[in-house]
Order: sequence, then C-alpha cells, then structure tokens
Amino acid sequence: MLRTTLFLFIALWAVFVVVPVALLVLWSFLEMKDYSFSTSLSLDAYAAVFDSGRYEVTLRTLRIAGTVTAIELGLALPFALWLAKGVRSPLLKAMVLALLTVPFFISLASRTIVWRSVLSRSGLVNTALMHLGIIDQPLDWLLFSEFSVHLGLLAPSFPTMVLPVFLSISLIDDELIEAARDLGASPVKVLGDVILPLALPGIVAGIIFTFVPLLGETVVPQLLGGGRVAMLGASITSLLQVLNYPVAAALAALVLGILAALFLALRLIGGGSIAAVFEGMKR
Amino acid sequence: MKAPLSGTATPEARPVRVRAGRLERHLGLVAALGGFGMIVLTYAPMLWLGVMSVSADPLGGLPGPFTLEWYDRLFTDRRWVGPLVSSLGCGVVVGLACAASGLLVARALPHLRARGPLLLAFLAPLFIPGVLLGAGLFLYLRVFLGLRLGWWSVFLAHFAWAYPFALLALLVTTTRFDTRLNDAAADLGAGPWRRFADIEFPLIMPGVVSAALFGFLLSFNELARTILLRGTATTLPLFEWAQATSHSSNVPLIFALATLVLLVSLLLIGVSFWLLFGRAEER
Repeated sequence: MLRTTLFLFIALWAVFVVVPVALLVLWSFLEMKDYSFSTSLSLDAYAAVFDSGRYEVTLRTLRIAGTVTAIELGLALPFALWLAKGVRSPLLKAMVLALLTVPFFISLASRTIVWRSVLSRSGLVNTALMHLGIIDQPLDWLLFSEFSVHLGLLAPSFPTMVLPVFLSISLIDDELIEAARDLGASPVKVLGDVILPLALPGIVAGIIFTFVPLLGETVVPQLLGGGRVAMLGASITSLLQVLNYPVAAALAALVLGILAALFLALRLIGGGSIAAVFEGMKR
Repeated sequence: MKAPLSGTATPEARPVRVRAGRLERHLGLVAALGGFGMIVLTYAPMLWLGVMSVSADPLGGLPGPFTLEWYDRLFTDRRWVGPLVSSLGCGVVVGLACAASGLLVARALPHLRARGPLLLAFLAPLFIPGVLLGAGLFLYLRVFLGLRLGWWSVFLAHFAWAYPFALLALLVTTTRFDTRLNDAAADLGAGPWRRFADIEFPLIMPGVVSAALFGFLLSFNELARTILLRGTATTLPLFEWAQATSHSSNVPLIFALATLVLLVSLLLIGVSFWLLFGRAEER
C-alpha cells in the first residue's frame, strides 16, 4: 500500500511539475493558431526574441544577474570560509545559519517595498544627505533605476550563495588543511591549492542557486525598477498575459538552457552527486 | 600531540589547530564583516518596515510622529480580510499536504536505489525560477489541457514550490532516525503500525511539524507563481501587490499589514527552527 502510494506520488510529481517545465522547450518551437498551439514547427519565436527589444531585456537581465552573482560570490566565499573554519562557537555558527535561512520564508514583496521609503526623492537617504549639506537637490537615480534593482536583489540572493559554499567548505577535513600548513604552505597556497579546489562543487552550486533564480526574478525589478528596468521574468509574465505563448516559452527555454549549461559544468567538475546531501545531513 | 611548525610555538598550543597568524585573523574579521553586512541588509528593511508602519507618513522617509493610525485603518478598511482568509486556507492545505507527502517520500527515499535522481527531481523547484514553473504550469494546464484555472492550480504551484523545503526538513530527521530501533521493537513483538506510532513518529515529529509550517509559510507568502495561476482567486500577497504597484494611497496600509504578517511569520519560523534544531541539541 505505502509503496503504491509512493510511486503514485512520484508519478504525479513528474506529470504536474517536471513535465510542464520540460514542455516549455517544445512550446517554444510551435506556432500559434487561434490562441492555442498548432502542430507545425517553427523558429519564429526565437526570431522574435532577437528581433525586438526583448534581446535588450535578455542582455540586461544577464548583466544584472551576473553582477549581483559576482558580488555575492565575492562576499560569500570569505564569509563561508570564516564561518566554516574560523568560528569555534557552535552557538554562533547555528545563529548565523538560522539568520541566513529565515529570509526564505518571508515575503519578498514586503522586504522590497520598504526600500521605496528609503530611496525615494523624499526618502531617508535623500533627506539625510540634504540635511548634512552634501547635496542640494534630491538624487534621482536612487529609486526606479538599475541601482535600486541591484541593491534590492543583493540581500535576498546572499543566502542561496553562502549556504552551498559553506556546506562544501565545512565538509573539507581539517586535517588536510593542517597537513598543508605543517608542510610549510603559505595561507595563499592553502587557499588556492587545497580549499578552493575542494570547495569548487559548492561554489558552482551556489552560482546556480543564485544566478538562475535571478534570471527569473519578478518582484524586485517591478517594485524598485518602476517599469524602467525591464527584466526577463516580468517579460515572460506580460507575454503570457497578452497571449503571446510561443515567445514567452522561448524566453523561458533560454533560461532553462542556461540552467542546463551550468548543471553540466557542475557535473564536469565532479560535484554532481546530489546524493551527498544525505551524507551532509547525518552530520 | 603534535607541535605546530609555523607560528609562535608555545607549550600549550592546541593539538589540532595551528594558531592563526595576525594577518589571517585580520582577514577573518574582514570576511565576517562582509557577511554580517549582508545580514544587516536583510534584516534592517524588516525593522524599518515595522518602524515606518507606526509613522504618520510611511513613505516620507523619516520616522515619526508615531501613530497607530494605519493599524486602526485596517479595522475599518476590511478589503484585506477576504484575501487573508483565502491565503490562510490555502496555506493550511499546502502545509498539511507537504507534511503528509513529505513524510511518505522522506521515509523511503534514503533507502531507494534511484535516490539521487529522485531527490534532484524533488528539489528542482528550488533552482528553477518561479516564473518558469508558473509559465510551464500555465501553458500546460490552461493552454494545452484547456482547464479552467482557480484555487486548485494555485495550490499546485504553491505545493511544488514548498515541497523541496518540506522534504529537506523531513530528511533532516528521517536520515537521523536509527532504523535498528524499529528492528528492536519488532523483536519485542510490535506490529508495523505500533512501531511507527510509538517509536518512529515521536522521533521524527519535529521534521513533520516543520514541514507543515514551512509549507504553510511558503504558500502564504508566495507571489510570482500565483500571478500566473490565479484564475479568479485572490491571495493576500496578490492583494498587497496590487495595492503596492497601483501607487494608490493605500501603500501605508500595506506597511501595517505586511508588518503583521512578518511578525506572525517570524514567530512560526522560530517555532519550527526550535523544533528542528534546538530540541535535538538537548537530547
């Protein structure tokens, strides 16, 4: 009985979660007829992606997601190293990990909308700067700009980078680092020759967990971009709302392609075994 | 006890760790500062949301004069009550579904041969952007199958999003569970149901409760997928979103409402973290 239920659930998961996402690729190659898909294949949707301003949106999304991911990696790598190997107190470590996990369960929209009262023309930053006499006129570029979108994305994307990197560094045996040091390796050499190669799967996983969701982010660009900073996620949503299904599917398939490429990279460097999660949890 | 070769060798040097040099300690401090900066960037907006929600002009930038006017207005302007009740109902259903099906899979998964690929399939919604799952489900259910969307499709999208978190919470406890306890109980003559009810369930109960709470919270705060799969349904985040993006005079009300939701969310997260990790430490 239990086994049957289990297999039924796995089948339902495949039919209602895996298949719909996989089919996005198929939809992107189909033509539209009377507001539904016809059976004839075409590359029109992909041509439409490159024809119009959507190409620009795609490039902007890649650029913003790339910048934010690079900043996260730059901050997360030293922090994860410090947290995994430098912190002695288990309580401090547990508290930091909890602080990094809590935001997953909190509404992104509420955390984002408050930035408006900080960055607007009459907001906290402008008021403070004018009061201090640093500027005469309120700064316009603080809100509804690429700056505010970057700023709004920074905090929500940090845990997805730092947690996998932390996990992979904390799995490195202390004795290995010890041995390298005993043999006279400088800290730079220990980092470059021992820690980074062993932490590479976690680093790539962190990049996937951060970069890919950023490509589809809808809430922050809309609340803090104010219509001026269009990104892919919002593009897909609005294309669906105007019934342009194949082009929406083509944009989505593009993101899936990037995801697949990153996954392949993870496989190639040998960190693809997700079953390792089980080992990590027993600790 | 091995003596450290590098650094200042003192007789009472710790056996395992080589003492960090001064440079390394400074670098550690810098690394910690970067990460804690991001944690502040995560939590300061939440605090600011609360402060501005009791200010006369939440979008004005400066807090104060302090007033409970906006909370008062929530009692007279009751348009949010309907969406709140719907969201609560949807969250409870998603939470219960997550706990039940999560328990089913988490008990069996560590012992299955195909656990790696299966876990990957179940965790996929973690790294597939929300808008992609939303678009995939929309095109599949609405356009391809021609179904009428509504609460059931919202439930499906919420469930797919929340399930990986619930499964991970349950796996934390089921991988820790020592199956020999079941064997011992069987030797003493306990049937399968007795073994589950008296031995296994009490030990993995924290994971079950956390899975339900995570499912509830993730459904309760979900927005990106709901926008595409709502049909005619309205959830509390959708209501907040509509108010926040319409530049209406109701934005101050949203600050108060979002603060209340935030407080309840933090309380529930605290409970589940305490169940998952705090109590385990005591044993």
